[in-house]
Amino acid sequence: MLGEIMLGQYFPGNSFVHGLDPRTKLIATLIYIVVIFLAKTPLMYGILVAFGILVVLLSRLPIMMVVRSLKPVWLIVAITFVIHAFTYPGTEILWQWKFMKITQEGLELGTKMSFRLTLLLLFSSVLTFTTSPIVLTDGIEKLLRPLKCIGVPAHEIAMMMTIALRFIPTLLEETDRIMKAQKARGADFGKGNLVKRIKNTLPLLVPLFVSAFRRADELATAMEARCYRGEEGRTRMYELAYRKEDYLTFIFMIVFLMMIVGMRFL
Amino acid sequence: MSIKLNNVSFTYMSGTTMAHQALRDITLEIKKGEIVALVGHTGSGKSTLIQIMKGLLHPDAGQVTVEDGEVGMVFQYPEAQLFAETVYEDIAFGPRNQQKSPEQVDVAVKNALQFVGLDFDEFSQRNPLRLSGGQMRRVAIAGVIAMEPDYLILDEPSSGLDPLGRHNLFAKIMALYKEKSPAVILVTHSMEEAATYANRMIVMEEGAILFDGKPAQVFTEHREELLNLGLEEPEVYQLHYLLANRGMQLPMVQDEEQLFKEIKTAKGWR
Amino acid sequence: MILIKNLKHIYKDSQNQEVEALKDINLEIADGEFVAIIGANGCGKSTLAKHLNGLLLPTEGEVSVDGLNTADMDNLFQIRQKVGMVFQNPDNQIVAAVVEEDVAFGPENIGVPSEEILERVNNALMAVDMLPYAKHAPHRLSGGQKQRVAVAGILALEPKYIVWDEPTAMLDPAGRREVLHTALRLNKEKHITMIYITHYMTEALQADRVIVMSRGSVVMQGSPKEIFSQNKLLEKYSLEAPLAVRMSDKLRQRGAKLSEQIITNQELAEGLCPSN
Repeated sequence: MLGEIMLGQYFPGNSFVHGLDPRTKLIATLIYIVVIFLAKTPLMYGILVAFGILVVLLSRLPIMMVVRSLKPVWLIVAITFVIHAFTYPGTEILWQWKFMKITQEGLELGTKMSFRLTLLLLFSSVLTFTTSPIVLTDGIEKLLRPLKCIGVPAHEIAMMMTIALRFIPTLLEETDRIMKAQKARGADFGKGNLVKRIKNTLPLLVPLFVSAFRRADELATAMEARCYRGEEGRTRMYELAYRKEDYLTFIFMIVFLMMIVGMRFL
Repeated sequence: MSIKLNNVSFTYMSGTTMAHQALRDITLEIKKGEIVALVGHTGSGKSTLIQIMKGLLHPDAGQVTVEDGEVGMVFQYPEAQLFAETVYEDIAFGPRNQQKSPEQVDVAVKNALQFVGLDFDEFSQRNPLRLSGGQMRRVAIAGVIAMEPDYLILDEPSSGLDPLGRHNLFAKIMALYKEKSPAVILVTHSMEEAATYANRMIVMEEGAILFDGKPAQVFTEHREELLNLGLEEPEVYQLHYLLANRGMQLPMVQDEEQLFKEIKTAKGWR
Repeated sequence: MILIKNLKHIYKDSQNQEVEALKDINLEIADGEFVAIIGANGCGKSTLAKHLNGLLLPTEGEVSVDGLNTADMDNLFQIRQKVGMVFQNPDNQIVAAVVEEDVAFGPENIGVPSEEILERVNNALMAVDMLPYAKHAPHRLSGGQKQRVAVAGILALEPKYIVWDEPTAMLDPAGRREVLHTALRLNKEKHITMIYITHYMTEALQADRVIVMSRGSVVMQGSPKEIFSQNKLLEKYSLEAPLAVRMSDKLRQRGAKLSEQIITNQELAEGLCPSN
């Protein structure tokens, strides 16, 4: 079940996109998202799609796999469409039943919004598919660092992400083990009404929390024993560094942004 | 009464590139009254086998038949499954799921606590998560014993315990065995435990049964193979072997006491 | 040298009762030694271990590492670089989701320059035979491999002492052998002082010196031969002597002439069947 979720997974490779600095990729993704919400005319959407395809090609990821990665989130896209289609107070009524109605404008907006969401998800999948979580974490830490002066704990956020990445598989295994142990004592996790079901999860949740806290405690001790004292005086094994490709990408993204802004506002 | 497995196979992540066959065509019968030590190195399929016996996993091929009776399973580090606010409630969880009446549950909890050697009045209302490690282990085992299993599977029950704790735990399991004679299936890495407590030993390797017989017989006849598998040789058999190598051939022995007697006899000491 | 003088440790348990976990411990651990500490669960051996790098501080008495007192906060950072620690649960001491990143964690914390970290990480992984796994995810490794990664993470800090707090308690026999051999080898090849806590007697047999603890005190000390030949005393402290010792004891009572020095099966077999 969890094995099917590809979103957020990393596929190692040597492509142009793989080789970019994570900061470049994060900023490019942000610019692309801004551009998605600036797009208005079919031409602008066309450019966006073309750009998206270009990036997928440059990343040398199998296109079908990128498309398939949307599978777990198609429901969110569908809900986005339905909500917009039913709730937008348009004038051109296409269908009406009691208080529900679908308008031409609502339909258009729904299509637009779900299209934007699809593009956004596709583009950010390419980011995670081509960047190892650790490098991505590094990138986020470096990008957030200037915000430290306004109190954003950049290093702590990154350390938390690192530890989460490390322990998610361990905790999933643990969940499986505890679930089996309680099933062996006759527990049933899927029966009864909502209250009963919530009550039924206690034999799973309580041990899981107890274990997670114990792990956290032991990990903190182990980190302390390995001279961890926060960001102070820390170096990194792999320091991030921009290369020629990164500067080119930045220039390209800014031109791209200005072009869309120009088409939208001029 | 017995648990029967007929040509059972099992594959994890079947149909994917990660597919891994854990059991290959296992046929096996375990009768009530047997104490079976299931040994083999990590990944040999022991843990999959016991989960299939308990019905937590379903075989891809073959049948599992459990002739009427409850299969109880004590997981490795069972203290990790404690969740209730009191020791009583935690142990009562299993019996209640078996639809026992409150009176029956009460009796089951009392018996189980007595079995693991914890005083009912002192412990039944305490928070199980605040007990010492050894006490937590015993409460967790009591939670399975309270279900009055006819087949008791124990997965590495002594891991993390010191020699005394191990000794005490097995004394209790053997007492239960003498009283109710369930089938006991003991998964263990300790050949010492297998040799001391079991009357049958099954050695697994790559999802198949490699040897099945009396521990003394398996250890003596297949010494080289077991060592090659990376399994440890119990001290008693090691000494027996070393003596034979130096010219003192002794009959097959089961435990320390027998070996002592044989050496005495061979040397002509009283 | 690690020096422990009149160490006492008292803590409050969940019922707010004072518990004396360590009572007046005096020990000296010389450079290059391989010391095994054994004792039943709850005898205070893990509490003692946590004093050696200042994770716990003495209630009374003092612990010093190369003359640095652990009670002085300013010394802690330096002490922890000198005294590495391997814990019992292999999972709960690995920080990063990639082996080499985890090994780099220590050197990064003490501010080693990037190129040198790479070098240290490679050397450390090589020393524990885990270099081929540098890019692997720790959760897919076996217990023994995880412990060796943890050891590499400590080696990368280039410590003088390593404290092993029951590193094999959660491992299978193969993993136990891997870890013990790693400890013995690093002691021999890199001359790192080892303080190895275990409840497996067979592991303690390999040490230069064995320390037996019971109820918060050091009750026996000596070479493995001196310790393990004392069947009765070990039993008193809930420990079990090796079979060879128990057997020779019983045989001696029946008139066998066997040396008191016998602690292994090999020695007993030789004693019973001397070659001509």
